[in-house]
Amino acid sequence: MAYVSMGEAHRRITEYLNRFCDAVSYQDSSTLCRLLSFSSNSPPLLSLADALNVFQDASSLIRQSDKFSEYGEILAHLFRSLQSYRVGNLVEAYLAFEKFANAFVQEFRNWESAWALEALYVVCYEIRILAEKADKELTSNGKSPEKLKAAGSLLMKVFGVLAGKGPKRVGALYVTCQLFKTYFKLGTVNLCRSVIRSIETARIFDFEEFPRRDKVTYMYYTGRLEVFNENFPAADTKLSYALQYCNPKRERNIRMILKYLIPVKLSIGIIPKDELLQNYNLHEYTKIVQALRKGDLRLLRHALQEHEDRFLRSGVYLVLEKLELQVYQRLMKKIYIIQKLSDPARAHQLKLEVIAKALRWLEMDMDLDEVECIMTILIYKNLVKGYLAHKSKVVVLSKQDPFPKLNGKPVG
Amino acid sequence: MAAEPKAAVEVVKVDLFEDDDEFEEFEINEDWLEKEEVKEVSQQWEDDWDDDDVNDDFSRHLRKELENGSEKK
Repeated sequence: MAYVSMGEAHRRITEYLNRFCDAVSYQDSSTLCRLLSFSSNSPPLLSLADALNVFQDASSLIRQSDKFSEYGEILAHLFRSLQSYRVGNLVEAYLAFEKFANAFVQEFRNWESAWALEALYVVCYEIRILAEKADKELTSNGKSPEKLKAAGSLLMKVFGVLAGKGPKRVGALYVTCQLFKTYFKLGTVNLCRSVIRSIETARIFDFEEFPRRDKVTYMYYTGRLEVFNENFPAADTKLSYALQYCNPKRERNIRMILKYLIPVKLSIGIIPKDELLQNYNLHEYTKIVQALRKGDLRLLRHALQEHEDRFLRSGVYLVLEKLELQVYQRLMKKIYIIQKLSDPARAHQLKLEVIAKALRWLEMDMDLDEVECIMTILIYKNLVKGYLAHKSKVVVLSKQDPFPKLNGKPVG
Repeated sequence: MAAEPKAAVEVVKVDLFEDDDEFEEFEINEDWLEKEEVKEVSQQWEDDWDDDDVNDDFSRHLRKELENGSEKK
């Protein structure tokens, strides 16, 4: 820390206090944002923090003037948090910031207009980031991390302040997105439900009126929730929305959307073009797409094994595993077309023995009973149209459309 | 000792959210126009890939496999 004289410390603190109080009285939200952005580590904030650590008794400065003492509680907590933050005591910094945030929200509630909405966004963002840092500190000291959970409760409170009628409502989606990030990190995604219900059932506010950045983030997270719930048509709608409206410059976000959208699309029979996989570096899907195109069950198995960790981590493994039935369908179609080349008249009869042979070639040893079982499933799921002649061990394919397309619907 | 496997399961669960694909924060004032580029992205899908083509390597091998067998009989 550079040496700061007492006089200089006094000057910096007074300057900050003036700027804060002026920003509030002139309703200058963007200045207020800068004054609150801890995680930006901006030089003015860092030098203020140094000054606070030299001066020690900033609250006496606040008390001295009516202008400052009006926001005395807010400022005192904020200063304490910044001091701890500067010396790397993140749990203390979090606790003081939480008190600051509560006082700030109380003040915000009393302001009639929504002028300070952006500053409130900064508070919501900072408390989440600070809580994550505090939890890391707690974990490394062998204590149980609990601050992010506490930040979640505070964000929920902020959501309550915004979610009603009136001009502040437009901020509700930003807080929702911060809550999603919190709950996904904590692994308590079921807590998202009540917030979603509040956003989606509100007839007084049209979803389209929220800022674009929040709509995109919201659709990304709710789309992922639909993937977890295996509701693929809904997941498709939400993730496709996020993809369509995401800032094209945000390539990492686009890649993340695609990471979930691709398995969803595959499950309803739609495949990504190779350029898409290449442009966004999603090579883990290349072989899976090839397996679908070819009907290559062996390749599908290998592709799933190769990236098993990654797919399990993002929660799409089960979605991809279910593609097996589509790959079976494709393989049956290939066998049918090949038969048609040599013997068109009897092509619509698939002998179980022939199928078993193809599967053996793909390193899947099945007896005829097992093959029959698979074919029964394919017929039941409407991936193959036809019937099973059990005695003659033949699947007789329908002459019309024996391998129906999914047409955007998941396998039944 | 019996408790050990249970603990392992919990570790995996935590790990699941370790890298939780957190969406990158947009700037508070970030806004943008829909660009043609991204529109194209949403057009980079195929739903009519399920063709009757059997001239790829895989199909040729499959065909050989099936026809070899029938000659043997």
